Amino acid sequence: MNNFSFYKDGKGLYCLFFIWLCFSFSSVYAKTTVRHSTIFTQQHQIQGTITDGLNPLPGVTITVKSRLNSSTISDYSGQYTLFSAPNDTLIVSFIGFKTALIPIKSRTNIDIQLLYDITTLQEVKINAGYYSVKESERTGSIARITSKDIETQPVTNILATMQGRMAGVSITQATGVPGGGFDIKIRGQNSIRTDANAPLYIIDGVPYSSEPVGSFYTGTTFPTLTSPLNSINPDAIESIEILKDADATSIYGSRGANGVVLITTKKGKAGKTKFTVTASTGTGTVTKFIKLMNTQEYLDMRRQAFINDGISEYGISDYDINGTWDQNRYTDWQKELLGGTAQITDLHASVSGGSQNTQFLVSGSYHTESTVFAGDFLYRKGGSQINLNHQSEDNKFKMTFSAGFNRQDNNQPSFDFTYDARALPPNAPALYNSDGELNWENGTWDNPLRNLNTEFESATNDLTANTTLTYELAKGLSVKSNLGYTLLHNDETRIVPSTIYNPANNVSSAGSAIFLNNTDRSSWIIEPQINWKKDLGKSNLDILLGATFQSQKSQSLVQSGTGFASNNLIYNLAAAKNVRVLNNDQTQYKYQAFFGRINYNLKERYIINLTARRDGSSRFGPGNQFAYFGAAGLAWIFSNENLLKDSSWLSFGKIRSSYGTTGNDQIGDYQFLDTYTTSSVLYGGNTGLSPSRLYNADFGWETNKKFEAALELGFFQDRIFVTGAWYQNRSSNQLVGLSLPGTTGFTSIQSNLDAVVENSGLEFTLRTSNFVKGNFTWITNLNLTFANNKLVRFPGLESSAYSQQYRIGKPLNIALLYDLKGVNPQTGLYEFEDLNGDGSITFPEDRQAMADLNPKYFGGIQNQLTYKGITLDFLFQLVKQKNRTYPMGPAGMMSNQQQRITGSWREQNDIAPYQIYTTGYNDDAMTASYLLDESTGSVTDASFVRLKNISLSYNLPLSLKETQCKIMLQGQNLLTFTKYKDGDPEFLSYGFLPPLKVITAGIQLIF
Amino acid sequence: MKTLFNTSINALCCIIIISMFSCDSFVEVDLPKSQLTTPTVFEDYNTASAALLNIYSNIRDAGIFTGTAVGISNQLGNYADEIKSSESPTNSSLSFYKNTLLPANTVISGYWNAAYNQIYAANGIIEGSAASSNLTLDQKNQLQGEALFIRALVHFYLTNLFGDIPYITSTDYKENSTVSRKPVAEIYGKVTTDLENAILLLPVQYQGQERVRPNVLTAKALLARVYLYSKAYPEAANASSAVLNREELYHLESPDRTFLLNSNETIWQLQAGAAGRNTAEAATFTFISIPPPRVSLSSFLVDSFGAGDLRRSLWIKAVKKNTSTFYHAYKYKENNSTAVSKEYAIMFRLAEQYLIRAEARAYQGDLIGAKEDLNKVRHRAGLIATSAATQQEILDAIIIERKWELFTEYGHRFFDLKRKAKLDIVLSGIKPGWNTTDNLLPIPQSEFSANPFLGSQNPGY
Repeated sequence: MNNFSFYKDGKGLYCLFFIWLCFSFSSVYAKTTVRHSTIFTQQHQIQGTITDGLNPLPGVTITVKSRLNSSTISDYSGQYTLFSAPNDTLIVSFIGFKTALIPIKSRTNIDIQLLYDITTLQEVKINAGYYSVKESERTGSIARITSKDIETQPVTNILATMQGRMAGVSITQATGVPGGGFDIKIRGQNSIRTDANAPLYIIDGVPYSSEPVGSFYTGTTFPTLTSPLNSINPDAIESIEILKDADATSIYGSRGANGVVLITTKKGKAGKTKFTVTASTGTGTVTKFIKLMNTQEYLDMRRQAFINDGISEYGISDYDINGTWDQNRYTDWQKELLGGTAQITDLHASVSGGSQNTQFLVSGSYHTESTVFAGDFLYRKGGSQINLNHQSEDNKFKMTFSAGFNRQDNNQPSFDFTYDARALPPNAPALYNSDGELNWENGTWDNPLRNLNTEFESATNDLTANTTLTYELAKGLSVKSNLGYTLLHNDETRIVPSTIYNPANNVSSAGSAIFLNNTDRSSWIIEPQINWKKDLGKSNLDILLGATFQSQKSQSLVQSGTGFASNNLIYNLAAAKNVRVLNNDQTQYKYQAFFGRINYNLKERYIINLTARRDGSSRFGPGNQFAYFGAAGLAWIFSNENLLKDSSWLSFGKIRSSYGTTGNDQIGDYQFLDTYTTSSVLYGGNTGLSPSRLYNADFGWETNKKFEAALELGFFQDRIFVTGAWYQNRSSNQLVGLSLPGTTGFTSIQSNLDAVVENSGLEFTLRTSNFVKGNFTWITNLNLTFANNKLVRFPGLESSAYSQQYRIGKPLNIALLYDLKGVNPQTGLYEFEDLNGDGSITFPEDRQAMADLNPKYFGGIQNQLTYKGITLDFLFQLVKQKNRTYPMGPAGMMSNQQQRITGSWREQNDIAPYQIYTTGYNDDAMTASYLLDESTGSVTDASFVRLKNISLSYNLPLSLKETQCKIMLQGQNLLTFTKYKDGDPEFLSYGFLPPLKVITAGIQLIF
Repeated sequence: MKTLFNTSINALCCIIIISMFSCDSFVEVDLPKSQLTTPTVFEDYNTASAALLNIYSNIRDAGIFTGTAVGISNQLGNYADEIKSSESPTNSSLSFYKNTLLPANTVISGYWNAAYNQIYAANGIIEGSAASSNLTLDQKNQLQGEALFIRALVHFYLTNLFGDIPYITSTDYKENSTVSRKPVAEIYGKVTTDLENAILLLPVQYQGQERVRPNVLTAKALLARVYLYSKAYPEAANASSAVLNREELYHLESPDRTFLLNSNETIWQLQAGAAGRNTAEAATFTFISIPPPRVSLSSFLVDSFGAGDLRRSLWIKAVKKNTSTFYHAYKYKENNSTAVSKEYAIMFRLAEQYLIRAEARAYQGDLIGAKEDLNKVRHRAGLIATSAATQQEILDAIIIERKWELFTEYGHRFFDLKRKAKLDIVLSGIKPGWNTTDNLLPIPQSEFSANPFLGSQNPGY
């Protein structure tokens, strides 16, 4: 099938270059626009180059003081030409730089060096979704990263680009296998249901559903279902804004409870046609292995285990120790199975440019990544992005079109080798025979590489398109409509051929199986809006009214086929003896809303921002479909008060606060209906229909009330800029599975419960320009978050299904544990606190010790140093947290153990941290070992400081004026400092590949 | 260009105005295509039948009747004197063998929850088909008859396991979450009424080729047992006669054919999940090496058979290693899939009806008739006629005969001892964990916390 793939052998790349070639011939057209101003012929022509001291600055506006209506813009190489009177003055302005006034003094060649103006960062327009707001005037809490930070990172998932860079945003990578997912929590877990805490993603104004597209039948490589977010290409992104507080999120109403992630793609800029080609290649390896026993230590443990159990004769299946396997053999299975090097290549090319009225950007990218596992597996991703802006001559009509198409092809073993790599006895046999065939060692072991034959293949096509039309009816009054469409198609297969079984079992292809999953999802959105801006002299008024209509259809089909005449036919479902439909689901989701915003700004000092939304969603029962949400935000820019206006040290000061409500409708579709679903159990081959759930018409929104207060201060022209925010979010009316008596036919019903979850915390950011002079700049960014999560109320918790999961007054993410007392020196067994004193360790009475698994605090510190053409950027991520140790099972059985287990109890009066070895016959030891994994002994400090990202780039000092060439060296997860002993401290579930350490080298060419 | 702008402005204005005034009906979605709403299911006989058949596969796979190790065929065998357990200490079913059940036992809550889920589904059929406008009267009768039968069957077993229980006849969860326990006698009355109604609705002929959906005679067979358990002997004799007289449908088979798929002794059996599959019972009870992985037959059962009893030689198999011998039930022999299914789990079979009528006749003083029925079963097993002469001797002989005939089938042995008040006499001597209050299982503890109206826990728990 793959032979026909578009991406095979880099064909996609050729296509890209072809497109690029086509555009390169049209650059003549683009150039003419810049020279537009030469019509106004004057007696004196001036030309020159504008730089920031080193690099040319394109797009700089140069105006002649006496004739403010005539201006020109520097071209890509920073060059400009204009005509002016010889005694006039040039006004040179560019965002991010101090405006320079340059007297011409009859010169004809004026090279201008602009100085960075850090204060103007406050002038940056921040995307707040339905509107944009000046950084200095925003009333809400919005964190932001831009392409500058994204481009330094060799990652494929947009969530990875945000790790450690944003206050209040906690992101954990689920697996190091390419195509895997991430867990994101913006200001903590709001919903008791763990799968309902995803934020709302919006790409260029179009909501992008992050609901998983995969199936548990196919996506066994990953700990979580396949997330569609991998489709988004980080290269195409201009900025990511995260809306956190009520002021920013209330306008998203029922979908804003978990925060909003706004993704803005790159746009073309007026000016000479610009070509950018970036190519990089690199490698990925596992960050950290567990220290395991070597053969000698392992066999020593095994022998002792037999002695402990009083067994003098080794069993016939104890191959490791009964002489069947070579006892002098040693294999480092982690190195063997996970120690490979993933090859990463990445290509990105874009063409952009345009005139004052029309700008465009076309880009394409191609990325491949192999795995650290043995075998030939590859993740491929390619896509293109088109952005088009147009505005009419009179600037009244504006149109923006953006479309992105991405395809991912992922081919992986449908099995993560991490578990095997840690559990296999170190003297287990060789993987291959001398003839290159898999070695089954006479059927004495299950060769782990048999799982290379169970392939997982996933192909995802993803299209997002958006058009925004704006028309200015009168001065200050404009109408706008946002039209969006998304389309996603995902095919996944997983095969289980008979070749994965030990040949001794004589399984033929009649036992082979294939699992298939197809998911289709499409949605459209229309958002008409009216915006009225009025300058009232000392104050400004900005009013926005709008409506949303959105519809989403999804369908998925999961099938299995078993029994094939030959394994060669395994991908042909028609060749399967038994074909079963495991799940066939079609859902529709409709959503409608009206929203509004009133923003009043008095003297640029006092700002009030009111937002409201009325939401309707098809996910709720009749009568409960509509709800109102709203928020008020206030800001006082006290540095603009006369008293402080001329302060030499305080350059900016703002206090802001907001309060409001949002909702959460992540409950799946049709959950209020009592439907019948096709049953997966058969009666004589007939598919049955089973009642899916009880009818509950009183099915409403989860409500989230958010409060925030923040202080923002800038000192010394904002060279030191610090913000501090305190927030408290309370989620109530929680949708949970309420327990019902079994007499109702069901044990629970999804229903709103008066349970309250509170998230509160402190967020700090600090930005310092440590050194900005001449050729050298050094900027430091720091963010730090202290977060608390608490279950405030849960009526009937004791009798609910959650009774042994949650505790009132404690975080949601706790583990209830047996309290480990240590190893009894007499018996050599782990001992636990017998809380109820009944003489035995029982569940749930004695499993009541608690461990909080939420991070205590987390943050990042980023430094950016620039000297001439060299830029060094590095980010340390720090997380203070506890996590579970890796459970290796009872020590002494035929499974390897951590090296530290060698210090186990051996004889009476031993004071040892680990209990007696057993081969499995010591029931007490087996029970104690099981309890240990559910005890305080299984929770350990997993805090870490990690060199998350380092990037070194060098701009080659080329003599070519219009060409820029940059060499880049980038690294991800290069260093990790942690006390955690069981591998990488960043993981969500056991036995999956940890995040990789990635180093890439690249080159970027701009001309 | 100008006109284009004007058009787009007008279009935009229109959209905004329309949207502001448009009604809220936008958020009404079509009904899900992949799921059927209750009315849709009962628009069509095929989908309604699919909903009904799903109850049978549920009965086969989960809860009280399942042939897997958690079902009562195995667990009540452990609980009484039929089976010896060799499960690991952590296995929740070992407490059945040791008679040390706790209200938190997951097998017990599995029985309770699965049973009421099956009852909910049956009530869904009854309500859905009654409200349907498309189904014919015959179709409604068929669906409702079977659903009433299921409701009666499950409640009957629940009351025998747990004593006083709620009798659920609707799908309204608000009503069903505040129900209270009703006395056993009242449950028997409702079971009888449901069965009598089912008998009015069900036909004699089976639906389809195999006897995998209950017919009217299945309802009568259950009714005969209900009457026997409630000591209504004339009614029990009548109901079983109604089944036994249908000689064109049913006759006793030789012991090697009794449990085969086409056995004419079968009144109702549960179809396997797919073509070629066989019973879960075979996997639960049979083993090929010792020590047995799960359970083996107890010596109390194995040693009690008389010489020449074909059931001892054909329905029980010995597995030997060195000097030790273990026995397993071998009624169902096919542990794996076969080209064509050979065995289905048999819920009701004719031999039991003979034994019901024998007992009912004996109680009514018809000793000759009783012996005649008892000997039918004995002769089939290769035994000579019973030597019992007095009423008591005959009654005792019937109970023993039931032990030999019905072992490891849906807890017959335990229920027989219980209704004869012989649990303490038989079990205290041989089961150290046995208490008088063990005649009832504990009601799952979670039920009391979720429903304060339910009442109190059974004594002894």
